[in-house]
Amino acid sequence: MSERAKVLIVDDEPDVLLTLRMILEAEGFDPLLAADGETALRRVDEERPDLVVLDIMMPVLDGWFVLAELGGRPRRPAVVVCSAKSGESDRARANELGADEYVTKPFEPDDLVVVIRDVLARAGAQVA
Amino acid sequence: MDQLPVEISQRIRHEARIAGLNDHAPSIEMVERRRLQLWSLTIVVIVATGLTALAVSGATGNVSWITGQPMILAGGVAILAIGFGIYAFEKEVHLHRLSRLLVDERLLSNTMAKRLQMNTALFNAGKALNSVLDLDEVLDAILANALELLGGIGGCVMLLEDQRVLRVVAVRGEGVDADARIRLGEAIPGRVAQTREALRVPQAVATAEACATAPGFAIGGAMCVPLVNRGQLLGVLTVLAPESGEFEDEDLDILSLFAEPVAAAIAKAGLYEAERANVAKLLESDRMKSQFVASVSHELRTPITSIRGAVAASRRTDDPAQREELLDVVDRQSGRLQAMVEEMLVAARMQENANRPTMQPIDLCALVKLTALDSHVAGRTVELELPEHCMVRAEPEALRRVLTNLIENAHKYGLAPIRVAVQVADDQVVMSVIDRGPGIPPEERERIFERFYRVDPNGTKPGMGLGLSIVRGLVESCGGKVWVEEAPGGGAAFRVSLRANALTESHPEVVHV
Repeated sequence: MSERAKVLIVDDEPDVLLTLRMILEAEGFDPLLAADGETALRRVDEERPDLVVLDIMMPVLDGWFVLAELGGRPRRPAVVVCSAKSGESDRARANELGADEYVTKPFEPDDLVVVIRDVLARAGAQVA
Repeated sequence: MDQLPVEISQRIRHEARIAGLNDHAPSIEMVERRRLQLWSLTIVVIVATGLTALAVSGATGNVSWITGQPMILAGGVAILAIGFGIYAFEKEVHLHRLSRLLVDERLLSNTMAKRLQMNTALFNAGKALNSVLDLDEVLDAILANALELLGGIGGCVMLLEDQRVLRVVAVRGEGVDADARIRLGEAIPGRVAQTREALRVPQAVATAEACATAPGFAIGGAMCVPLVNRGQLLGVLTVLAPESGEFEDEDLDILSLFAEPVAAAIAKAGLYEAERANVAKLLESDRMKSQFVASVSHELRTPITSIRGAVAASRRTDDPAQREELLDVVDRQSGRLQAMVEEMLVAARMQENANRPTMQPIDLCALVKLTALDSHVAGRTVELELPEHCMVRAEPEALRRVLTNLIENAHKYGLAPIRVAVQVADDQVVMSVIDRGPGIPPEERERIFERFYRVDPNGTKPGMGLGLSIVRGLVESCGGKVWVEEAPGGGAAFRVSLRANALTESHPEVVHV
């Protein structure tokens, strides 16, 4: 299969969404965008992405809620939490809730791409 | 009584030796016994002499039954009697002196015992002052000592509040109304506080005039002394006598001695309390600064993420339109970083108190309209409720920043519609920024203006906790006040009150005649 891996980027910051979309597109992924938790969950259900890049601090439904909700889904996508929260407790919590990786903002975009590839490879999904 | 104890005891020993008392420390009882013996002997001698004289006179007519030479015998007896009389008189003089000295000594030792007791009490008071730094404990210890020494039934320390009212801060024993509040110049404590002179009042006066006495409690008199430290009146110390007793003038002197350590204790403990409060404040400020550093580093992360993302993305594309878009991201996010740095600088400058605005009359309504326009451009719309004109005295740049911060906050934490209203009442102008959000809980309404304070530090809303502290600093530098209350119908209403500035200032004209 030559289908590109679908990556849903969830962040309430439009400029983060914009730059990540361009980078992931250039790296051969199929990026989807969501600016809040509610949209993120809907797009997960509708478009079944292979991986979710998830911000934590968002209004209305935050990343923790989304992460917990995803845990209950039958076909749960891989999750890379991408947050400005850098505490050990946040990392542990993400791990507990089933996140595959935890990346702290600000990150080196190239590193994020590497992490995404790794996680997708582990999940057995098709890597672009 | 004004002789030294050593001198008295030396004289006692001297007199005792002369009086034939070999004891080094004779008692009044011993002296009296010796006097009794002396006088008994004297009486015996007189009686004996009398009988002899009688016998001799009887013998003048008859034949003497003793010697037969009556005149010689009588003369001998008389000389003996006179000699004994002189001896007895001399002894009596010394015994009398000795007895007086012993009485003096006893009085002196009583006084000394009392002084010692007083010194002990004062020493204890001083010890309490030095060992315990909690004001309540110090005052309690000193009151306890004063009551014990003076035999008072109850006592209290009252401190002066707002230079007008005396309030009870420490109570010991019975009969004191712990809630008593006495105005300066009223009742006994109030009068003492006003005149700064110690006062002792008898039962009738103490009962008629309140002495911070519990209603219906019978006392036998009262004393009240002012508490002065370094020339400053701090309060009064009051002691009540039991119904059965009354105080003496001497007691008032003693109570006055207690006033000094009490005043010192209050001053010292006050300093200590202030120091403790200061330390707590510093710790809290330190905690908030750590929080601030966390918030700032967190706040800086988002724009940096976007900028680095934009750079990484632009390296992956040759499309000029995309590159332009990414340059916009860099521009926007670096602007955001700059604004944050500026905000921190404003806060730091305010802290140093170096930010002295230049006050001038400005039309608040015009300023609100301009700021609202800027907000609108930045995507934060506001509704306006303004009068035609409204002149206030303020620094325009400060006021613009205040309004911008409040509108930003309303959009960040509240819900639309955001309204900005200006109302004029007498000489005050109130500018309100009102949102329809959840509002601010009453217990947070004061704290949100503190530097680095955030209602929900781990919440999902970004922020450094500086915005409102900057608002308050700027409003106060313009001589105004800012506070938050619940908006009618729900939501938060941030209000800024400023002094109105009359359009035309009236200058009194100088008239030359």
